[in-house]
Amino acid sequence: MNFGEIIFLLIIIVTMGGALMAILSGSIVYALMGLVTAMFGVAGLYIYLDSPFLAMMQILIYVGAVSVLIAFAVMLIGPLYRRPKEWTTAGKFGAALGVALVTLFMFVRFVTGTFPRGGNPFFDMTTKEIGRLFFDNLVLPFELISLLIVVAILGAIMLALFSRGNK
Amino acid sequence: MTGFFYNYLHIYLFVALFLLFCGIAGVVYRRTLIGMLVSMELIMNGAGLNLVALNRFISPENAYGMAFTLIIMGIAAAEAAIALGIIILIFRKYGHIEGGDLKEMKD
Repeated sequence: MNFGEIIFLLIIIVTMGGALMAILSGSIVYALMGLVTAMFGVAGLYIYLDSPFLAMMQILIYVGAVSVLIAFAVMLIGPLYRRPKEWTTAGKFGAALGVALVTLFMFVRFVTGTFPRGGNPFFDMTTKEIGRLFFDNLVLPFELISLLIVVAILGAIMLALFSRGNK
Repeated sequence: MTGFFYNYLHIYLFVALFLLFCGIAGVVYRRTLIGMLVSMELIMNGAGLNLVALNRFISPENAYGMAFTLIIMGIAAAEAAIALGIIILIFRKYGHIEGGDLKEMKD
């Protein structure tokens, strides 16, 4: 086991631990921190999958934008004075055990039988190929994404304005 | 095991499956809407990891999986913005964000 494999195992453990923390912690702020941890772990896995551009975009969009957005919403919603009764201890252990068992069963039952064991194929996709694909074959989805983001921005502004106008 | 440990497809698929089931469990068991949104982000991360891993190992001659993962990131950002706007509206109207007893949003 060389150095890269040790780092890889560490990244997998960080990803899984972050995901478990995101769904099992009682406080919503700790859940958000767990989500950020899992996103960083997925970015590390992207680097191991020979696509560093996606790792950069993962950190930029998810860790930089989406988690900050959720943190702002948590702060705007303020103190959860009616603290919701979410996870009991037995519920936590039951949910963790259920997730682990169902994942392992699905993995053994379907995934290992369906896909061939990967070797080491040559993979060299740079940002040049991704950009050419976006402007060549995937022009319509690309433009639809930009339209969707414009509509989302307008919708968020309209929601904020109307709620303030009604007050 | 021949080759390096990180050159096998199944490990990435296992991590993606784990993220998917964590997200499903979170969506089912969380009561607050923000907890459900965090779980949805976990599901989308798992989907992106799955697509990139299959692109890397099954068809390494094109880059469709990576392009679809970038599209998923854009959709996730737009979805988070809209969902958080709606959640803040619900908090102003009801005073709490528990998903169980929300019945209407019409004024």
